[in-house]
Amino acid sequence: MYVELHARSAFSFLEGASAPEELVGLCAERGMPAMALLDRDGVYGSPRFHLTAKKHSIRAHVGAEITSTEGWRYVLLVQSREGYQNLCRLITRMKLRAKKGEGRAQAEEVAEMSSGLICLTGGDEGPLAHALAKGGIERGMKYVQELCRTFGRENVYVELQRHFSRNEEARNQAAIEIARKLSLPLLATNGVSFALPQQRELLDVFTCIRNHRTLATAGRLLSRNSERYFKTHEEMSQLFADLPEAIANTEILSSRLQFTLSDLGYQFPIYPVPDGGSEMEFLRARTLEGMIGRYGPDNERAQRQIDRELALIEKLNLAGYFLIVWDIVRFCREKNILVQGRGSAANSAVCYSLGITAVDPVGMDLLFERFLSEERGEWPDIDLDLPSGDQRERAIQYVYERYGKLGAAMTANVITYRGRSAAREIGKALSLDPETLDRLSALVGSWEYRDPSDTLERQSRDAGLDLQHRRIRKFLELCRAVQDLPRHLGQHSGGMVVCQGQLDSIVPLEPATMPGRVVVQWDKEDCADMGIVKVDLLGLGMMAVLEESLQIIRAHHGEEIDLGHLPQDDPAVYSALQKADTVGMFQVESRAQMSCLPRLQPKCFYDIVVQVAIIRPGPIVGKMVHPYLKRRQGLEQPEYFHPSLEPVLARTLGVPLFQEQLLRLAMIAAGFTGGEAEELRRAMGFKRSEARMKEIEVKLRRGMTAKGIIGETQDKIVQSITSFALYGFPESHAASFALIAYASAWLKCHYLAAFTAAMLNNQPMGFYRPATLVKDAQRHGLKFKPIDATRSDWNCTLEKIAEGFAVRLGMRYVKGLREEIALEIVRQRGIRKFSSIEDLKQRVPEIQKSELAALAEVGALNFLSGRKGFHRRDALWQVERAARRPGPLLETQEDSQSACEIQESPLQQMTDEERLVADFRGTGLTAGTHPMAYRRADLKKRGIRAAIELAKLPDGAPVRVAGAVIARQRPGTAKGFVFLSLEDETGIANAIITPQLFEQDHTVVVHNPFLLIEGTLQNQDNVISVKARRVEALTISRAETPSHDFH
Amino acid sequence: MAFASIFVPNFSLQAVVRAESALCERALALIEGNPPLCSVIAINEKAAQMGIGIAMTKTDAEQFAGAEIRPRSLAQEKTAHAALLDIGWSVSPRIEDTAQDAIVLDLSGLTSLFGAEKEIGAHLIERSAACGLRVNVAIASNIDTALIAARGFVGITVIPPGEEAQPLSRLPVGALSPSIETAETLSRWGVVTCGDFAKLPILELSERLGQEGVRLHALARGASARSIAIAEPAHFFEEEMELDDAVEELDPLSFLLGRLLDQLCARLAARSLGAAAIRVRFELEPSFENGVDIREAFPAEKRPGVYAKEIQLPVSARDSKMLLKLLRLRLQLNPPGAPIQKIMLAAEAARPRATQGGLFLPSFPDPEKLELTIARIAQVVGEENIGSPSLTDTYRPGDFQMRRFLTPREAAKADGGSGVCQKTTKHADAQAMTSFRVFRPAVPAKLDLHAGCPTRVAFQGLRGEVIAASGPWRTSGDWWREDPWQQDEWDLEIHFQAAPEQRDRFSSADLRSNSGIYRFYYDSLRRGWFVRGVYD
Repeated sequence: MYVELHARSAFSFLEGASAPEELVGLCAERGMPAMALLDRDGVYGSPRFHLTAKKHSIRAHVGAEITSTEGWRYVLLVQSREGYQNLCRLITRMKLRAKKGEGRAQAEEVAEMSSGLICLTGGDEGPLAHALAKGGIERGMKYVQELCRTFGRENVYVELQRHFSRNEEARNQAAIEIARKLSLPLLATNGVSFALPQQRELLDVFTCIRNHRTLATAGRLLSRNSERYFKTHEEMSQLFADLPEAIANTEILSSRLQFTLSDLGYQFPIYPVPDGGSEMEFLRARTLEGMIGRYGPDNERAQRQIDRELALIEKLNLAGYFLIVWDIVRFCREKNILVQGRGSAANSAVCYSLGITAVDPVGMDLLFERFLSEERGEWPDIDLDLPSGDQRERAIQYVYERYGKLGAAMTANVITYRGRSAAREIGKALSLDPETLDRLSALVGSWEYRDPSDTLERQSRDAGLDLQHRRIRKFLELCRAVQDLPRHLGQHSGGMVVCQGQLDSIVPLEPATMPGRVVVQWDKEDCADMGIVKVDLLGLGMMAVLEESLQIIRAHHGEEIDLGHLPQDDPAVYSALQKADTVGMFQVESRAQMSCLPRLQPKCFYDIVVQVAIIRPGPIVGKMVHPYLKRRQGLEQPEYFHPSLEPVLARTLGVPLFQEQLLRLAMIAAGFTGGEAEELRRAMGFKRSEARMKEIEVKLRRGMTAKGIIGETQDKIVQSITSFALYGFPESHAASFALIAYASAWLKCHYLAAFTAAMLNNQPMGFYRPATLVKDAQRHGLKFKPIDATRSDWNCTLEKIAEGFAVRLGMRYVKGLREEIALEIVRQRGIRKFSSIEDLKQRVPEIQKSELAALAEVGALNFLSGRKGFHRRDALWQVERAARRPGPLLETQEDSQSACEIQESPLQQMTDEERLVADFRGTGLTAGTHPMAYRRADLKKRGIRAAIELAKLPDGAPVRVAGAVIARQRPGTAKGFVFLSLEDETGIANAIITPQLFEQDHTVVVHNPFLLIEGTLQNQDNVISVKARRVEALTISRAETPSHDFH
Repeated sequence: MAFASIFVPNFSLQAVVRAESALCERALALIEGNPPLCSVIAINEKAAQMGIGIAMTKTDAEQFAGAEIRPRSLAQEKTAHAALLDIGWSVSPRIEDTAQDAIVLDLSGLTSLFGAEKEIGAHLIERSAACGLRVNVAIASNIDTALIAARGFVGITVIPPGEEAQPLSRLPVGALSPSIETAETLSRWGVVTCGDFAKLPILELSERLGQEGVRLHALARGASARSIAIAEPAHFFEEEMELDDAVEELDPLSFLLGRLLDQLCARLAARSLGAAAIRVRFELEPSFENGVDIREAFPAEKRPGVYAKEIQLPVSARDSKMLLKLLRLRLQLNPPGAPIQKIMLAAEAARPRATQGGLFLPSFPDPEKLELTIARIAQVVGEENIGSPSLTDTYRPGDFQMRRFLTPREAAKADGGSGVCQKTTKHADAQAMTSFRVFRPAVPAKLDLHAGCPTRVAFQGLRGEVIAASGPWRTSGDWWREDPWQQDEWDLEIHFQAAPEQRDRFSSADLRSNSGIYRFYYDSLRRGWFVRGVYD
């Protein structure tokens, strides 16, 4: 039986056109027993190849094509674990000394690391082809002898490929002659680059992308024909009918390749315990110390739980892992870096006691098995949230320092071709003109929701592209074919893997774009699949806000806030949550959350946990939101799918909201074992899992039928479970987020100035634009002071005023102003006050005219002259002169110039409208009057209500509202409905646009910054919205008010 | 001294309407851009009323029922501009060709000919209307004021000397055509009209906006004092002749062409110029279908009733006899196909060839004679079959292209001045030691196959047994084009049975032998076998 031993996948990045799963799937379909994947300079696709092969009981051989310093490629197959480790080290060594994406292996290195590897003489790009082209058969012979010396005679195979090419066949004849003379075995391969013949087109496009050509100009860089597809045993046997040994040898060689990725040999690092004790003892001691702090000395329940967890940790030999995570957390605490564990780790009382997480799993009765179970046989998953930015970087660097450059690395993030990038690159290869491409890529993927007719074909038609045109047709086919294929390797935002000893012998390492970083060749999921422990150090914008808020409070209020000991059940927090007054609060600020809060009426911490978890696509698609709310409001009695499920679902009134509940549901209703339930969970969280979900569904139904749960009940349970495939939170994760949500709400309610300043300094983040945050804070009584070059820092700061503190807007909001310039302004004014704009220009000479003008336009230079009545246009007038350097003749006349400056400008002061336009254009926000306020009298005459008035109107009342559009949403779960948030000076009004109205007035809704909505008021349980009947564009201001669209 | 400026508002649109006056009754939008993506660049009032806007896509504009969507026509704009110049020259010999849509006339001394300035304005508007152009005319004591006013005010505007500032003050400051940077500054300053701008103190303004500010300030005040840049007459010479009776025969046509060429060459000689290219355009007798002239259905440049040819000359020439010979040869090669009603002959002017070449340059054939020779060969073999063949970078078997012969000078230029002709790149497949004679076009053949391998062949009356076969050599490509290919080639040694007289054409060099090695291919798309050629 023929075995394909030389195949490239799309993980050869632009040199292969099929996913590894597709190749191995085809292998299984054709009943072939094994296959080897040899991607270029890496083993990127091996885990996926291995796992799929395992599923089909196919032997997945590992190998790679390694680029030599001369440009040709070694074709290497892994025979043993030693060979694999050598291959990984070889790749790491060549990659780490070169730029990202490059690297060539030297002959000496290959010789040094040749043990356990088998070398083929290669196809077009192999050493033999190279030698034959350079010096004919003699040179070819020498090269092959050289390979024999490097790898050992028994480890060299003379490779033959037949793609119906004269040159190739001439080469084959030479190769056969060499093999005969040197008594080396022949080996047939097809040098596979794609699974099916038609995928050659995609490979041609990839070739163009790689070579920066178009199909029209790529010439003979493109494939000669489509023969590099995955051929069957029969096809290959026919091709090599004259050389049956070449086919037979594939099977023989395959049987020699003993190594698979199941034999990886990964070991987690040992934590260096002081004083020679064991890791377990050390962990127990740290846990007990922490437990006393968290639970007090006499909490028996906690003690029992912790003992149980520690026993399991000991049994699974995981103490080192916990200690390593604890060590990172300890480092963060020491360095005052806010850190909080999330995810399933929050189910562990040990993690809580160690300070890794902040949620009490005992108090909340969380399921420990969700975090760690004996039968699962995999590493637990601990994610740490850190403030995004420098602080997180410090934590990452600490891990590098602790475990060494070859002991720790970031996981990769495989960037795949998606709508927009695919359209752009394929369009370029097809020579579509830039304008067409711009238009097309702008069309792709704007809205989350796609109605059934919203296909690429329709979008292309909308873009005015002729579908009858062959190139356009090909474009569409290729766009479809390329979806989800890997494009290049990025770096995962926070996933780190660590290893005992040399990580580079487990998986090759590569340099990352960011200096000082190395990345493994596998992504997060592949690492998990291969059983490599990872710790996610994730940057969370809100953590940075919390941290900065605490610093500001410390500096201005002189108070030390401990987020771990915030007052529980704070009435101000719950009151704000119940009123959905939550702009800026973590996880509960979106429009969907706001429309749920007044119904859910959170009264305790657990309600926030539910609130965080309920507005997720999982519960929404599973139609669980409304039943839960109705039951909570007492409008419905809790109902359970089946009486046996009551204990699981009681705390959420019969409605499954959390992943844990779904797992228990499967265990009770369908008799799943813990392991099977875990498989279910993995399938839920797994992106590439639609097929897996289907398989599990069959299993679920079978199990339920066996337990007598049939018909509608069975359907309901299946729907609940499968809908979680589209994101559902584990309870522990929701609890961790709820803690942050509570902290953000508490800070907003009690330290609004500090919280708002921190929010403004950590943009972009959250749901709303800074303009909305400012207006919301103003409505809560916070005063803002404008950007002022004599007072503002780069960041927003607090200033003491009679009523407390006001926020002084920072120069970071001046568009086009560089940070270093702003800092220099601050430094210079600290030395001596600026006397004029000219003075500023002279003392900060790097400032550009455009920066000066930007500052002047937003009024930041108004206070520089010290003269009352000096307005923005006066400043702009002076800026133009200050920015023009006088010639050498006039340079000495500074005094007279400064004297001139005091003179008034001949320019008119800006009108209110002009100021608004300048504010929004220059800073994206205004601290002044809301644009709608200027027009209120007119609007009132037209019967348009202010947002604040809506609450007083009865449900069903006809109403007209208007405002600046601050958010446009068309969520995937809302069947084409569009949700608009309109802001005026009194608050935010929500409007709902039906799909029909949206279709009809698409342009009005999408393109106008101010809208008038006429419709019917809906006031259900204090959730207020306007169901639009008519939409009209309003001319309020030319100011470019920002809006957060397309969520 | 007074100057008049004529400005054609919405020039692109007017250029199209001028050629088709019925269009002014309809909502019209002009589009521009690369198909299939085009956007609207000009609209008339009716289109604006319908809701069509500038920058709208063609698809969007087409949604307005009844609107006429036309592509922008640079040719018509060129003609309209020429007409605009003609209008100017019909009044004054001193004309400034300021822009595509605007010209300036020096009116010095013209009042005695045409009357008062207002009457000159009316005269210009009347002339323009006759040429199908609706224009604004402004007359002022300086050029720039006249230009700005013509762009800013509708109809005739006469600005008395000394009162320039007042009318200009109402215009937006953009009428002064400031640079983008200055326009941004003015916008920030809140300076909206020319009047606002004129009020700014000049000294401070110069400190801020430099010389551009000073210049614009003068413009805004109507105080510009630049002199007129007299337009050079165009370097494009055109002659045309409308015939009472259509000409069918080449000889009488040559006579007429000769006359026109004589005139053209005489004009070129008067300007000390030669022709770099000659363009001939014939309007042919209309062909009626059901009483309708079918030519109307086609755009002007593609009408079947129009015959157009261009002869690029290797060096500029004005020898009318030589040019006539060239024309005759071209016409013999590609006759117009219908009687000719109108002849248009145009010469693209260029500086004449220097008689003396470089002292050390080798003597090449006289370029004019060479061009004649090439034209004669082209007459025999067809224009697309003359030149230097060169391989194209593709696997498509036998693909090549013909490149135009280069004159020694052009070749030197193309080669970066080294004087060495560029060699064509080596084809990777060109390693074969034997030479191969390609049959063009390929010869259809019939093959018998056994187990996928050819055993017998037959083509062009020849039959033979396959002695040895090598193949298939498979190529395919250009899958994104309308003409993809997919072929399996076989190299076959054939032993022929008979019919030696046929073999003369298709056999290998060794005619005495009864066998030969041939390359056959199976075209998968055409589903047929062909002989590509023979190994010599």
